[in-house]
Amino acid sequence: MKVLILGAGEVGFHLAKRLSEENQDVILIESDPERAEFASQQLDVITVVGNGASLPILEKAGISNARMLLAVTSKDEVNLIASMAAKKFGVEHVVARISNPEYYGKGSVLSQEQMGIDLMINPERECARETFDLLRSEIATDVVPFAGGRIHLVGLRIKEGAPVVGKTMAELAADLHDHHYATVAIVRDGETRIPRAESKVLAGDQLYMLTPTTEIADIAPLAGYKSFGLRRVMIAGGSAEGEYLAEILEEEGVECTILDIDRRRCLELAERLPRALVLHADATDLELLEMEGVAGVDGFVAATSSDETNLLSSLLAKTAGAHKVVSLVHKFEYLRLVPRVGVDASVSPRMSTVNAILRYVRRGHVVTVAELTGTDAETIEYGVGEDSEIAGQAIKDVHFPKNAVIGTILRGDEIILPRGDDKVLPGDDVIVFALPDAVPEVERLFD
Amino acid sequence: MSLARVANVVGLLQVFVSLSMFLAAGVGFVYGDGDALGILLAAVVTFFVGGFTYGITMFEGELTPREGFAIVTMAWTAAAAFGALPYLFTGALDSPVAAFFEAMSGFTTTGATVFTDVEALPHGVLFWRSLTQWLGGMGIIVLVIAVLPYLGVGGMQLFKAEVPGPTPERLRPRITQTAKLLWLVYVGLTAAETALYLIGGMSFFDAVNHSFTTLATGGFSTRNGSMASFDSGFIHWVTIIFMYLAGVNFSLHFRAATGRPVYFRDHEWRFYTYIVLLAALAIAAVNLASGSYSGLEPTVRDALFQATSITTTTGFVSADYELWLPGAQMVLFALFFVGGMAGSTGGGMKTMRVLLLIKQTAIELRKHLHPRAVLLTRVGDKTVKQEVLANVTGFVILYLLLCLTGAIVLGFLGMDPLTAIAASISSIGNVGPGFGNVGATDNYGWMSDTALVVLSFFMLVGRLEIYTVLLLFHPETWKARRSFH
Repeated sequence: MKVLILGAGEVGFHLAKRLSEENQDVILIESDPERAEFASQQLDVITVVGNGASLPILEKAGISNARMLLAVTSKDEVNLIASMAAKKFGVEHVVARISNPEYYGKGSVLSQEQMGIDLMINPERECARETFDLLRSEIATDVVPFAGGRIHLVGLRIKEGAPVVGKTMAELAADLHDHHYATVAIVRDGETRIPRAESKVLAGDQLYMLTPTTEIADIAPLAGYKSFGLRRVMIAGGSAEGEYLAEILEEEGVECTILDIDRRRCLELAERLPRALVLHADATDLELLEMEGVAGVDGFVAATSSDETNLLSSLLAKTAGAHKVVSLVHKFEYLRLVPRVGVDASVSPRMSTVNAILRYVRRGHVVTVAELTGTDAETIEYGVGEDSEIAGQAIKDVHFPKNAVIGTILRGDEIILPRGDDKVLPGDDVIVFALPDAVPEVERLFD
Repeated sequence: MSLARVANVVGLLQVFVSLSMFLAAGVGFVYGDGDALGILLAAVVTFFVGGFTYGITMFEGELTPREGFAIVTMAWTAAAAFGALPYLFTGALDSPVAAFFEAMSGFTTTGATVFTDVEALPHGVLFWRSLTQWLGGMGIIVLVIAVLPYLGVGGMQLFKAEVPGPTPERLRPRITQTAKLLWLVYVGLTAAETALYLIGGMSFFDAVNHSFTTLATGGFSTRNGSMASFDSGFIHWVTIIFMYLAGVNFSLHFRAATGRPVYFRDHEWRFYTYIVLLAALAIAAVNLASGSYSGLEPTVRDALFQATSITTTTGFVSADYELWLPGAQMVLFALFFVGGMAGSTGGGMKTMRVLLLIKQTAIELRKHLHPRAVLLTRVGDKTVKQEVLANVTGFVILYLLLCLTGAIVLGFLGMDPLTAIAASISSIGNVGPGFGNVGATDNYGWMSDTALVVLSFFMLVGRLEIYTVLLLFHPETWKARRSFH
């Protein structure tokens, strides 16, 4: 499949990397020659230098026979123009990254259909939504809904002295026979492993588990945490992400304090957020954070525009006793740092965008896909068709790649934790956890 | 400031005042009790003086804000001066000061009267009394703007200076259209009330007069006992409802009339309604407990009547509230300050200002808990600008200071403290009755000329919402703006 990607920023670069690794033909359009040069050296893609909103450049990139356009520059207008052009050329799937809320929804001059856009993504809003899911899921580092929200993939960091520490997968499965947990991955020292029956859980591991949504609350004690409800949240930084998050919290009836260093921004926030408490303060002013009760908050989110400030602010809040601390991280390189500095979880608007777009790209037989913090692995939900190679076979008979595992089979309302004898039937939804090198093989099995 | 321009507009406004006098003369003529000629003479004098002033001056260029303030203040003073003539020329009153007071009380919709026996007055004079209130209720200038577009853009200056409330709203892009719509609603409600009074058994003359003074939240009556003279529960309930409606922002009525009833969404409306209902509930409870009333309906009706009448600053009475227990009286006393909604015909401080002040105070308290918090005052989902809040705070302080000043001056004139305080507050709030010697069943006829002049001034200051009048006393208003060459 020929995919045009507009913009070789972090989002575009990352998408290009992912898709080229999965053997798609990627053409990257970037206006900055240096950035384009860097991309063509690092990635197995064609790069075209120029403005993605101009016709000659789009034609040069071969828009007439492209099947998909991902317009992900940081400029909304460029993305919009390119998307409208793409539809004229008959590009099948058009995805656009749009940050300004005035360009979509009710306030928009043209509807999404008129603009010819199949998927619009607002990175900041996507990121705020993800942050809220993280906060609500108490102790998790990742929370991703699958199967329309019936199942969640939950990532947790195991505490010292937690009940699961030292147990093998087989023992864990025996302990949890009443429940529907499936452990799909263990991340240790930055390396992702697919667990075998004899793999042991150690303190400090990051565990990824698939679990029915109704049983999420039971996970916390396993990992050594007390469970708690979300009542008070403090947001340090009035960025777009912070504001969207405060909006969600207001809607959900969670008490919310948001602070920003810029007085005019504070006035804007106070105007738009009638119920939140807006403070004019610095995100790293520990004395103020303590006075405003950071020690008692259920969630603390560092959401300024500076990654360094966010990490520092998160650490201060964690030290002061905030229950769950989430940091906004823009630079992809910093994401790996998050587990090491003791912050509970991180979110990134760009990562959220990449996730949302990959989910869309693999649409069709693939239902949902998620990329996770601190690992390259993906969780993918496949719909099994009549002519899928895997259909009708028992799992033990399928030659399934070593770096992938079937986490859950969904058959109607039934949730099945597969054993070797279980069969995959047409019409099932199957959630697979896979390292990148295994993805093409898994795709082939389900295609 | 161009005095010629000011005089031009003021003169024209007096022509309008004279036209309404001709109407009163007509009424006098129809009833034929001997006052028609006196009123006609007053009308002719007013017409020629006003017309002459208008004729010899020119209106050119644009109105400046200070000219706007000057025009409104002077037009109202002149209206009261000329409005006094019918009382003098018909012999209803001998003292020019008392006549000026009566006319000012009329135009400002206060309802304080110097007459001991209104029932002895001829029909024409009674009608003129009620008519001054009806004109003053929606505003003489608003009426002129509605029918005469010649003021152009400057009309907004005058409109702002005359319409009560912190920020007058426009219903239509053109100020003339807005003024027309407001008058249309006003006339419609007056007609509706008249019809209901007729059904309730009032004479046509009484029905029209009381409708005029209800919708204007004025309070002049054609009977010595005010509303208590009508021994009819139905008439009292009708009065309660229309006093209440007159205290509501007329833009809301207009929206309702065009099929968009948005009362419930309006936060000031809710606040205003709560105040009236809560006060009435408190009064009814006290009166029930005291055992001075028999029957639930009369207790509730009288409590609601007095609470609505004082809150909207109408000043009708259906019962002598000075006979109530002190608790019930103090509830009424508090209501003297509140007033109707912004954009209503009611006086007082206006519920919007009270609401904003309460919200502002709550925010100041919260700031002590969160010193770095950025807190905004909102009414509904709208944020109130800092300048408006400062203006409101200034207004309320000025209002209370004036109440105090008035009471002190009246004290120096020899009045007892209760009467002095009540008369001062009642005049500034354009209510009418008060406590002590200006209580529910008393009048202002016994006061000295000095006291009547002082109170006339306070009534005007209250009706034009302080700033408009006081600006004329600010030295800078009279300084010419100099250019640098």
